[in-house]
Amino acid sequence: MFGLTFLAVFALSALFYALARNKAAVLGGDTPRILHSRPNYHGFLAFLLSAIAGILVLLVVWVLWGAWIESRFIASILDAQPDLSPIEVELALSDARALSEGGIASRTDALREQVAREISGQTALHHYGTMILSLVAAAAAGLWCLRASHVGWRARNRSETIIRRLLALMAVIAVATTAGIVLSLIFETLNFFNNIDWQVHKFLFGTTWSPLSGVQEGKLDPDKVGAIPLFAGTLLITVIAMLVATPIGLFAAIYLSDFASAGVRAWAKPMLEILAGIPTVVYGFFAAITLAPFLRNTGESVGLSIASESALAAGVVMGIMIIPFISSLSDDVINAVPQSLRDGSYGLGATKAETIRQVVLPAALPGIVSAVLLGISRAVGETMIVVMAAGQGANLTANPLEAVTTVTVQIVMLITGDTEASTAAGPAFTLGFTLFCMTLLMNVVAQRIVRKYRELYD
Amino acid sequence: MLDDQKSMERVMADEDTKITAKGVDVFYGDTHAIKSVDVNIQNRAVTAFIGPSGCGKSTFLRCINRMNDTIDICRVTGDIHLDGQDIYARDVDPVQLRARVGMVFQKPNPFPKSIYDNVSYGPKIHGLAKNKAELDEIVEKSLRRAAIWDEVKDRLDAPGTGLSGGQQQRLCIGRAIATAPEVLLMDEPCSALDPIATAQVEELIDELRQDFTVVIVTHSMQQAARVSQKTAFFHLGNLVEYGETDKIFTNPEDPRTESYITGRIG
Ligand SMILES: Nc1ncnc2c1ncn2[C@@H]1O[C@H](COP(=O)(O)OP(=O)(O)O)[C@@H](O)[C@H]1O
Ligand SMILES: [Mg+2]
Repeated sequence: MFGLTFLAVFALSALFYALARNKAAVLGGDTPRILHSRPNYHGFLAFLLSAIAGILVLLVVWVLWGAWIESRFIASILDAQPDLSPIEVELALSDARALSEGGIASRTDALREQVAREISGQTALHHYGTMILSLVAAAAAGLWCLRASHVGWRARNRSETIIRRLLALMAVIAVATTAGIVLSLIFETLNFFNNIDWQVHKFLFGTTWSPLSGVQEGKLDPDKVGAIPLFAGTLLITVIAMLVATPIGLFAAIYLSDFASAGVRAWAKPMLEILAGIPTVVYGFFAAITLAPFLRNTGESVGLSIASESALAAGVVMGIMIIPFISSLSDDVINAVPQSLRDGSYGLGATKAETIRQVVLPAALPGIVSAVLLGISRAVGETMIVVMAAGQGANLTANPLEAVTTVTVQIVMLITGDTEASTAAGPAFTLGFTLFCMTLLMNVVAQRIVRKYRELYD
Repeated sequence: MLDDQKSMERVMADEDTKITAKGVDVFYGDTHAIKSVDVNIQNRAVTAFIGPSGCGKSTFLRCINRMNDTIDICRVTGDIHLDGQDIYARDVDPVQLRARVGMVFQKPNPFPKSIYDNVSYGPKIHGLAKNKAELDEIVEKSLRRAAIWDEVKDRLDAPGTGLSGGQQQRLCIGRAIATAPEVLLMDEPCSALDPIATAQVEELIDELRQDFTVVIVTHSMQQAARVSQKTAFFHLGNLVEYGETDKIFTNPEDPRTESYITGRIG
């Protein structure tokens, strides 16, 4: 019904578009130059005004009327059975809703059936009423616009203003959503710190992570929320991943941009991009099912004991995942080094290798550094691979052959575990917030570097 | 008597000729950019290549230090000799050749390094200095020779990209001089410069001919007339006319040269 009303408002606005345009065309007649705005803009303004009025009324009336009806139902339920708890009232209401739509309720009794009848009556009124009001609003706005328009009607300026405001509104929505997420992260983080009596240092520097084992009446044990093992695990896996990804990615980029023939480049670049398109969950089970057992068997044959879930397996696979990221960004910056610099170097009798090492790479270095930083923030935030391949035990170790756990894995464990959400959310959000800060910092640094690099050539 | 005179002339010509090109053709894929060009370039003189754009001046210039080798689709046939040695012979390494035949490009292209590092780049690569003191000396000499030493001597550590366009181009000339080349190729070295910087660079080119064989491509006929002793006029990949600059500009033989100089083609 809501969707239908929406479409109806649009259809009506489209009608006003045609009417207003027509009127302007008639006003212009044989001398269209006397119109301030071209007929299209007359139509467009009528369309905008009518659609905005209709949709605004639709949203406001729909929501307010709905809320008002609901409060009436609740009142009538409470009238009949005043001693119901709020949850039971909710239940009765949702049962009645189900009954009125012919669905299945958890219980049927006289009260529920009576409310269901009320709902059926009210709902139709609500829906049709809203529809009529919206259409009336749309029509009023459209008619006003149609009547107000004349030869000097500044339809272009007005519609441009409206469009500008709509764009600004969208920008505000995007920014506000981000701000909302960050604020809720901060709020939950503060909540969590409050829960552990503001012993923030125990979270930041503690070495025992087992937050849900010390819960008493919703209160966490500050001695069991030390996040150091998680940060250490994240760091270990990130380092392994970057040790794999940086050299391979960078050398691949150098080869592709300066050595490969056009033919090789034509198929090698898309191949790398395909690598970037593989979902991380595939990498994850590749790590868990193929690489980890392979590592363990190889380790055994040389007398090393490698855990079946190891930082090494997760890190190597994560590195493979990041290779295309580093190589394609580096390839871009290496290609962005002007050919004239290369020519200058060749012209002095430098070889290709000398040119790349002494002219191209130094010139591209800032871009490469930022590619690596962006790769690191990918690695830090990566979840699927580590969930599958790195383990869940919060080990504090620097040995890549053992199982470790990361910040992201623990967030997954907390949120999907069967502990009550209100308890588990605190540490999860706090970890998330910490992660957010780390990634943000790295992205900011990376962007700074890139900007500096741009200035160098302009 | 007649024979004697002829052989005398040949000896004279040989001593005076730095570069000899015979039957040079250049192709970019299927495009025939240079058509059977013969030319002798005089030692310690400035030779100008002029002609309408797209006629192959740059292409021919780049044959002389084998810069065309860096373009995949480019193919060069014919003979080019530097001091009597075939530069397209199998045993010639283009990298060594380019140390002997330096190049300055249309757009100043200093490396994003310090002024000092820009100039010392070539000498370091070719191992021309045994120690830091020698390197310092080469840098100073080259920058003096490029008439820019006084402007940059106090900021050798500043980035070369921070200089003005004219200074950058003189820095690039200094950079080319630092590898002690015998020939300097310049591809429209002033086309990105303002008139004052152009005048400075032209003056410099005139001085450089004491030590180097200079070949300059230019689209400005006034510039060719001002700085060069010999001029070669290219048209549609052909070398139409080649001779003393004065003669080309005052009394051209080919009608195409004349129409170009008087501004009817171009
Ligand atoms: N890298 C290249 N690839 C293909 N064709 C080229 C290339 N460089 C030059 N050409 C062609 O060769 C011809 C001569 O070019 P060029 O030597 O640059 O002329 P000029 O320097 O006299 O303006 C032109 O037709 C041009 O299109
Ligand atoms: Mg050119």
